[in-house]
Amino acid sequence: MASAAETAPRWSRRRFSWRRLGRGSVPYALVAPVVIVMGAILGYPLYSLVRIALDRYGLTELIQHKGVYIGLKNFGTVLHDSVFWHTLLRTIVFAGANVGLTMVIGTFIALLLVRISTWVRLLVTSGLVLVWSMPPVVAVQVWNWMINSENGVLNYILTEIHVGNYFQHNWMETPLSQLGMVTTLIVWGALPFVVITVYAALSQVPRELVEAAEIDGARSWRVFLDVTVPVITPVLLILTSLSILWDFGVFTQAYLLIGQPHITTGNYLMGIYLFEQGYVNANFGLGAAISILMLVIVAAMSVVYVRRMIRIGDVT
Amino acid sequence: MKLRVVVTAVIAVALGVVAATASASGNHRQSNKLTVWLQVDAQTGWPDVVAAANQQFQQQNPGWTVSVQYQNWGDHLQKFDATIAGNDTPDVIEMGNTEMTAYMASGAFADLTSDKAQFPNSDHWLGGLAKSGAYQGKIYGVPYYAGSRVVTYRTDLFKKAGITKPPTSISQFVADLQKVGTMEKKVKGFTPMYMAGTDWYSALDWVFDYGGTIATTHAHKWVGALDSAKSIAGLTAYKNFFDAVSSKRAATLDEANPAPYTVFSQGLAGAILGPAWFSCCTGTKYKAVTGQFVMPSHIAGKPIPGFLGGSDLAVPGESGNKAQAIQWIADFTGTTNEQSLQAKGNIPNATNLLGNTVNARAAAQSWFVPQAKHWVDIENGNILRTMLSQILTGKLTVKQAASTASANIAYTLNQS
Repeated sequence: MASAAETAPRWSRRRFSWRRLGRGSVPYALVAPVVIVMGAILGYPLYSLVRIALDRYGLTELIQHKGVYIGLKNFGTVLHDSVFWHTLLRTIVFAGANVGLTMVIGTFIALLLVRISTWVRLLVTSGLVLVWSMPPVVAVQVWNWMINSENGVLNYILTEIHVGNYFQHNWMETPLSQLGMVTTLIVWGALPFVVITVYAALSQVPRELVEAAEIDGARSWRVFLDVTVPVITPVLLILTSLSILWDFGVFTQAYLLIGQPHITTGNYLMGIYLFEQGYVNANFGLGAAISILMLVIVAAMSVVYVRRMIRIGDVT
Repeated sequence: MKLRVVVTAVIAVALGVVAATASASGNHRQSNKLTVWLQVDAQTGWPDVVAAANQQFQQQNPGWTVSVQYQNWGDHLQKFDATIAGNDTPDVIEMGNTEMTAYMASGAFADLTSDKAQFPNSDHWLGGLAKSGAYQGKIYGVPYYAGSRVVTYRTDLFKKAGITKPPTSISQFVADLQKVGTMEKKVKGFTPMYMAGTDWYSALDWVFDYGGTIATTHAHKWVGALDSAKSIAGLTAYKNFFDAVSSKRAATLDEANPAPYTVFSQGLAGAILGPAWFSCCTGTKYKAVTGQFVMPSHIAGKPIPGFLGGSDLAVPGESGNKAQAIQWIADFTGTTNEQSLQAKGNIPNATNLLGNTVNARAAAQSWFVPQAKHWVDIENGNILRTMLSQILTGKLTVKQAASTASANIAYTLNQS
């Protein structure tokens, strides 16, 4: 018959030791500074955001430094606002178009990089890095200069090469053309990251697999679909997920390129809707509620990205 | 031992974060320093007036320094809100006269009623400006300067077209402009009168000229009035004027991009409508042939009512230097400084300083926006610009666009 001491779990027989406890808590202590700093940097603003979202917090309350608790009323106001739903739909379509164009053009340029000479590749890569390094505000100025209706380069060139009469053509006349111009700017700015990352992924495609497929008689399109794509799929998925997150929350380029005097409910994107309601109209409670709703939407969209990252982590 | 080091490091980091956060939220105002926020117009147009006021203030207050920080119209309110949240407001702030009400109603500014006598010419302040700086019988804003809107035109072209006198009615003006347009039709991109279609500061002149208005109050509620018969008559007249003499391409443009004086300086406009200071920037080529007159009404012999733009100076309630702020405003709006502003094409803040300039004559007939807490939301929401672009592009009829705008205005102004 086994004694009680023998049947008890192994850990219970270990003597308590301050030394062991100290050694066991070292990893936690090491990670603690990061947790504390991240908690302060992310946690406190998030807590403030939730608190303000539950308050009526306008100009009067800002001046008094004290909101008036109204529960979930701000969320109700946003969810019953038809502008919110129209803006959400417009932003989804906008982000979809931007991500699609970025990924297709980016992958195409990356494939091109594989086939060109080293010098040309160096030139193209340098150009891409220059685009990447340009701050969005500067890029908007460059775009404004190019599409300006009075003296824009684009109108001048299109007229000169007889594409049509683009003399003093206004490229920002309708909401569709405004968002179209913003799309060209966003895609242009997003391409370098996608091209360079996809190019790096392409360099991981085993040469012998491609050669084997070619020996078996596969055409280049077949080789691309059956050999190259499966290898670079994880990278494409991560890039697509990241692009969706970035393009859904676009603000700077859209707000500056369209310009405040032309921002209306007809061309709102989610970032602009949040800024107009929260900051411009000084309705900070409502702005905080919109922020939280955006956070939830973005978090839901990031599930794919996070799952993919975890899977990559498991493999390595 | 190692654990103790790690724990100490953690505590140090935490304390550092707390200290950094605490220092960021405190008001670390340097003593004997007055912070003034003015708009960039002062920086480009009258830096000498600002310097004179600073010098006078420093002579009266030895040991004090003045930090003048220039702001842009587009984002200065958001920046001001941020300073309120951070307990770090400036001591003096310039506010557009249409922006004042929201902040006065919210209690952002110090009550200056008992200090009125300290401000030069305060018994003769311009009525329109003084009204924009007062709320519920108390004074929160000191009139700074005003600006009316006049026609800036090419004297050489008008002369060449045989026009020797400024028009006395809109119909005569249209006929004059059409003569100029016909004469210059070979100049690519030329328009007799360049008007940014969505420039509501100019467009609503027609509404008021026909007896219309933006909104009225009834039983303590705001009622949109742009869909009234008189307002619709005014908006229709504006559309007719625009279609007759302006460029279609400008129907959806705003007055900032491109600035009307830029189009003028490129030789592509016979006339433009806007603030009197537009004459500053018509370009060296056309400087000598730039003239101005008061925009006529549709009724012969009368001027059209123009938007009286302007600025007030206010002292944020959280300023710890109220006495010095008042002193600086008094210096800045002194008689000599106001006369300097007048010499640069502005309207001074008091009637006793008014002259017989084209600017002052235009100011005789003026209109102003409804004094409502949420008026600024109408501006920010671009409700009027949207209406004008819908009318001028023909997307909606005048009545449809005006009715939609009117309903939006009533909804926005009646928000709690």
